Amino acid sequence: MKKFAKTWMFVFGALAVMGLMAPTGATAVEEIKIGVIYPLTGGAAAAGRELRAGAELAAEIANNVMPDLPMTMARNSGVKSLGGAKIKLIFKDHEGNPTIGADQAKKLILDDKVDGILGCYFSSVTKTVSAVCEQYGIPMINGSSTSPSLTQRGFKWFWRTTPHDKWFTKDLFELLVGLTEGKVKGVAAVPKEEIMNLASACEKTEWGSHVSGLIQDFAREYGFNLKKSLLYAAKSADLSSEVRSLKASRADVMLFASYTSDAILMVKTLHAQKARPKIIWGQDAGFEKPEFRETLGDSINGILTRTVFLPKVVEIKKLAGQVNALYKKQTGNDLGGASARAFTGLQTWVAVLEKAGSTKPDAIQAAANSLYIPGKELVVPWQGIKFSTSGDELGQNVLGSGLIGQYQKGKDGNIGLEIVYPFDVSSADMIFPFAGF
Amino acid sequence: MDILVGSVFAGLLIGMILALVALGLTIIFGVMDIVNFAHGEFLMIGMYTGLLTAQGLGIDPLFTLPVAAAVGFLLGVICYFGFIKFLLRGPMVAQLLGTFGLMLFLRNLALLIFGSEDRAVHSGILVGKSFDVGMGIIVPATKLAAAGLSVAAFLGVWLLMNRTKVGKALTATALNAQGARYMGIPTERMNALAWGVGGASVTIAGALLVNFWSVNPFIGLLFTMIAFAIVALGGFGSIPGAFFAGLVVGIITEIPGFWDFFSYTFDAEWMMNVPMTSFKYMWVYVAYFVIVVLRPRGLFGWKQ
Repeated sequence: MKKFAKTWMFVFGALAVMGLMAPTGATAVEEIKIGVIYPLTGGAAAAGRELRAGAELAAEIANNVMPDLPMTMARNSGVKSLGGAKIKLIFKDHEGNPTIGADQAKKLILDDKVDGILGCYFSSVTKTVSAVCEQYGIPMINGSSTSPSLTQRGFKWFWRTTPHDKWFTKDLFELLVGLTEGKVKGVAAVPKEEIMNLASACEKTEWGSHVSGLIQDFAREYGFNLKKSLLYAAKSADLSSEVRSLKASRADVMLFASYTSDAILMVKTLHAQKARPKIIWGQDAGFEKPEFRETLGDSINGILTRTVFLPKVVEIKKLAGQVNALYKKQTGNDLGGASARAFTGLQTWVAVLEKAGSTKPDAIQAAANSLYIPGKELVVPWQGIKFSTSGDELGQNVLGSGLIGQYQKGKDGNIGLEIVYPFDVSSADMIFPFAGF
Repeated sequence: MDILVGSVFAGLLIGMILALVALGLTIIFGVMDIVNFAHGEFLMIGMYTGLLTAQGLGIDPLFTLPVAAAVGFLLGVICYFGFIKFLLRGPMVAQLLGTFGLMLFLRNLALLIFGSEDRAVHSGILVGKSFDVGMGIIVPATKLAAAGLSVAAFLGVWLLMNRTKVGKALTATALNAQGARYMGIPTERMNALAWGVGGASVTIAGALLVNFWSVNPFIGLLFTMIAFAIVALGGFGSIPGAFFAGLVVGIITEIPGFWDFFSYTFDAEWMMNVPMTSFKYMWVYVAYFVIVVLRPRGLFGWKQ
């Protein structure tokens, strides 16, 4: 029966599309439908709730006049160039499943006739959904999937606002160079010889081995000496020979791409082996999880991790603080990496529509490709939003950047992340060198 | 130089614990000629027992050894009377496949109960502490304690087998079960005892390991393989053989450390780029292969 209904819906959908193709006169748009696909149930449901709340808040700001907020979409009620048309979000749940995600995208396009799509958090789902959008010629903006390959497919209807792993790894090398140039807050210029030797250990699935390759490339490009580059199984129960090998390389900087339990095991083993590199840096994931902090306690004081959004941003960026206050009023929580990027994703949608002045896909495409949002209008600490329109990263925002946080013991005795990169938003003096365990 | 010394020392330390892992396998094989594929799963159960007892009672994982030993002994005896006893009536293939099935059963049972995520001990009197002895030797306190207790357990089992009447009865059963039965030795109970002692020694090893290794339901296979290599190297059924072969295998797992030593000594770039740590267990299986081809009864083996 269900299948029967589905078939009928498909037939109706197809008929509806045919109906759309019939020439119609230009009509005033009253509302703009954006389909939003997130993991609203399943293992990532908590992240899904955050994402949804972030997108909803951005829609609310776009649809109402909020003169206090220094951003374009807050000054107008709805999309001004479209006669004040309101943004309407239609949420769908992909349950973390790429196939369900693609189905939902088809439904949104054929049944709900959305003007565009926002989503999908999981890189794997973003991959299938963007393929559907590409097939139907419907624009899609992605706010929070970081697999580099997503923008390397030459898609013409896909734009990504968040920076991806390549940028994050580059950030690290910028930080190292910044250290030698004395740009880091609270640290005098360090001679390059002192942080010349690097060693990396990454987990060996697609993500970690990719990061490992990036580290090798950037080390060469920035003139650092990568003494050792290891891959290990994230399910390893013991990493002592890996750690001994890292130690034997006498590296000054140790770099890791680890999931949660292996990140904890790695740091524990470094601790037990009394490793004393000057810098320990983790590529997000395990190094940023609450368990990492809870399990390892004070011993992580001084460890660095890349991230995309930290509560500290709110203290430094006025706009982020204002939006955070609104967000907190509605949800009771602070903005996080997921919600801040979902907010920015929808904000980008509004800016694109404002610029396009039309809901025709071609107009939206042209507007997105020439879009520029300055960094001061964003809650995230980026230089802005501007999409690449040529080269091998079609549709990637080129003005994004990650953050590098450092675990520091605060005055209240709790370990928290302070921003040390980018330098202009750093929230505390960097601890350098790492004091050892 | 300190890389070399450090690696040898670390290898010996882990070797003592690996020897205890293999001990149970060699006892069971020695007495009954049964190869227990579920051996690693026994270890996994020992690890969970240590972990959960420590967390449940709020005691240090090192003090959970008696609990682990009791669980292992019971597990071995139950497996024997509930399962293995019936397998003995069948052909050799049935015994092999039977313990293989037991392995799958225990693993999936653990998956059902504990879930697939890794768990580890994060607190304890010795957890995270280590001594720097100099010469590049850094001794994690948990490993040292585990190695010491492992040697003690080994000695205990050795004494049991060689200095007691029960041990003599076990040995007699191992040498000639039918003859032993004629002499009035209850061979059925001896078999069960072998499974009990074998189970207890491996769960003790598990409870020691969990002090510094994390556990998940799939960890068993790695140890089954390592235990096989140790038993093959030391000789099937030989207790001192298992100990020395354990040390040898411990050193073998440290080959990446030796490789590092030589690559830095010769300053050979190509050597530094070889991902040796990714292959650290490969050499164990290479040794296993070599010993099976060249000397099938192992270094100290006496069973044909």
